[in-house]
Amino acid sequence: MTDAYIIGAGQSDFGSFPSESYRSLFDDAFDEAVESVDAEFDTDRIDEAFLGTLGVGGRQLGLSGPAVTEHLGLHGIPTTRVENACAASGYALRQAVMAVRSGMVDVALAGGYEVMTDMSGDHTKWWLGVSGETEWERLSGTTFAGVYAQMASAYMREHGATKEDISRVAVKNHANGAQNPHAQLGFECSLEDAMNAPDVAAPLNLYHCCPTTDGASAVLVASEDAARELSDAPVRVAGAGAASGRVGLFQRDSLTRIPASETAAKRAYEAAGVGPADLDFAEVHDCFAIAELAAYEDLGFCDRGEAPRLLREGVTDPDGDLPVNTSGGLKSKGHPIGATGTGQVVEAFAQLRGDAHVQVADPTVGLTHNVGGSGGGVTVHIFERVDGGAL
Amino acid sequence: MSSERGIVATGVYIPQSRLDGDEIEAAWETSAPVSRAAVPNADEDTLTMAVTAGRDAIESSSREPRAVDHLAIGTTTPPLDEEEFAPRAASALGLREDTELDVATQSPAAGADALLSAAAADGPALAVVSDAPTGNPAEVGQRVGAGAAAFLFDESGAVVFADAATRSRDAPGIRFRERGSDTVEQLAITTYERETIRDLVSTAVDGLDVDHAAVTGASLYQPTADIPHRIARALPYEAESVERGTVVTDIGDAGAATTAIGLLAALEESAPSSVTVAGFFGSGATAIALGFETRAAIDTGVSAAIENGVSIPYAAALRERGHLGETEVAGGGAHVSLPSWQRTLPQRYRLEAGQCPDCGAVAFPPEGACPDCHERVAFDALELPRTGAIVAVTVIGQGGAPPEFVKVQRRDGPFAVAIVEVSSDDGAARFPVQLTDCDPEAVSVGDRVVGRFRRIYSVEGVTRYGLKFVPE
Repeated sequence: MTDAYIIGAGQSDFGSFPSESYRSLFDDAFDEAVESVDAEFDTDRIDEAFLGTLGVGGRQLGLSGPAVTEHLGLHGIPTTRVENACAASGYALRQAVMAVRSGMVDVALAGGYEVMTDMSGDHTKWWLGVSGETEWERLSGTTFAGVYAQMASAYMREHGATKEDISRVAVKNHANGAQNPHAQLGFECSLEDAMNAPDVAAPLNLYHCCPTTDGASAVLVASEDAARELSDAPVRVAGAGAASGRVGLFQRDSLTRIPASETAAKRAYEAAGVGPADLDFAEVHDCFAIAELAAYEDLGFCDRGEAPRLLREGVTDPDGDLPVNTSGGLKSKGHPIGATGTGQVVEAFAQLRGDAHVQVADPTVGLTHNVGGSGGGVTVHIFERVDGGAL
Repeated sequence: MSSERGIVATGVYIPQSRLDGDEIEAAWETSAPVSRAAVPNADEDTLTMAVTAGRDAIESSSREPRAVDHLAIGTTTPPLDEEEFAPRAASALGLREDTELDVATQSPAAGADALLSAAAADGPALAVVSDAPTGNPAEVGQRVGAGAAAFLFDESGAVVFADAATRSRDAPGIRFRERGSDTVEQLAITTYERETIRDLVSTAVDGLDVDHAAVTGASLYQPTADIPHRIARALPYEAESVERGTVVTDIGDAGAATTAIGLLAALEESAPSSVTVAGFFGSGATAIALGFETRAAIDTGVSAAIENGVSIPYAAALRERGHLGETEVAGGGAHVSLPSWQRTLPQRYRLEAGQCPDCGAVAFPPEGACPDCHERVAFDALELPRTGAIVAVTVIGQGGAPPEFVKVQRRDGPFAVAIVEVSSDDGAARFPVQLTDCDPEAVSVGDRVVGRFRRIYSVEGVTRYGLKFVPE
């Protein structure tokens, strides 16, 4: 079995672009991914594509994947649209890695896209509550902000965490996102700003919630032979872990952790032969601030209840022991649902090649963590720089 | 009919929100027709109130819902102009599919029709009178209230049904609602109204074959507090007896339910061997009188229900009732089809869960693999208790609700959504619920809550009902 390598990664700007389409946004991401390949890259080398989207708005609910690849001129290649809510493109990457490792595919395209801001607020909220246990969670009167807020209420009760603890996620991620030209909310915020914003779903306020975002991202996954030929510094997919969980928060044993994240991480660490202590950085799924705290614990960065301490002590700041969300995270960079998973890989690829906007010092191992819904589907990928750069 | 057939248990429900007369006086700069009126919440209607009161009566009787053979509902204001709603009430109450159903409407006299229907039936029979009329805020709307009273009839009643009498006359225009209108009107021809009401009600009551000298409580038609006393001038009753059965000043004009709740109030203090009468009236006009003889004192709980309540400002009352305008919401409702919703009614109405026969875990809803051992099993049925504790909670502010909840939220304001854990001897289960009848900011993890049957949301013109929760 060949290893799978990332040889290119790119994203569109993330933001509010109501006049763009899912295809025009993917054009930008694809172009950036192709340009990032070190060698001259003929897009005819792409054998197959896996593209993630929830399909917000319902505009092209069927066959949007082939609609994208045909639009790009990748004529005739097999394309699969992957739907796992906010983890759609994390799972698209997983499919691409499996296809390359199996030997059926030499170069695969993984990516995602979402257009969310071209409709009324009511229409948007309609789509933001359909990835939980719809018949029960949604019909108790809540969108996703409310579900994560319930998680926050239980976490604060269980661990004595405070609004200040949760607000530190926003401060850190905005500071990072302010350096990222692709970020939707590329400005800094103070702890005071983050604590005093209007409530969205108490205890979560505006600064504890990611924005609604239009955007696309694309990643080129290659076999070892193709990576050797095309890249001066390919990034190895060292571990690909994934897991499912009960789709409704209320259906799970714990309201303060995401069991599918724990399982996916365990699988990824085992596959990569590394542990949390070996990581040089991580991009975690901070759709809501509480999700970043839960991620620290689910991914083994610290013990249960210790996430607020990590934030307080700056452990996850860019100059800390384990920088998290140097891209700005979903909070500042934006969260175009289907594009988020491979969007995280854009940052991991840049970090491991020394090209990041907020560059961590000489990283060799990084992790991406992509959560669908409130934890119904999770992927964790571990990436490694190749010793000496090239294969 | 057995001569000892009568009321074995009662139930009552009055919406929590109350509009004080002071608010009406301040808003309209005129004296208020009632001193306090109950205001139905935006998620309440005559069906939800009927279910709450009916459940109260069945529970106080210590009978199983499935033992009830007959359900009669009286209201002037069914949730829809056309469509049976009694089957929903029966389902929500847990009655059998072969329970006889009877609905009376058309005027406040429908309350008497429902009581007579249950009195004349065989076996356990539940009469529920539930009403929430609407009026122009400048006119009848100044006095309207809401509430429901339930009476479970069976053999060997604590309060025996003694007699009924009817009088009718061609006398329209006293209280009516035109086809397609939500608003109760009256021509307000004072003397004509008063004389018609007094003559018909008093002669009907006087025609009852009861010992009138033993009457200690009388609930007489009461759109306002003065009318019962005007009727009683033609009857040999003490003013105190009439006062005992007059509740309109405290709950407002609740249409058919006012006289029925007044009957509960009159019965509450009735001693053995005393007689209680009720005189219902419907414009058009008809009067129906009912006579009861008390065998054993009965606890109706009506005083407490009247006293409990939270005063709300006038603007909030107008908003709850939908008078301040409604806007259309883009996006429609969630993609849960009506048949899918119907599949889950045993869970939404009665919290029917399942227990894994292998590992004992409780599954709610009871479908799919066991949540603990993950085996595909046939769950044993298990009805969860309706009280539990909040384990996680958030507040959905104005603008934050999914579109199908926006209309009600604009009327009722921010609401809390919680995950509730309920425990029984057989295990515990968690499910998400919307909280109602409370300040959403004031609830927190650990608080105890109890289920209440409410409107959940409406889509494609069909209202979906289920349990919400309120602080215990």
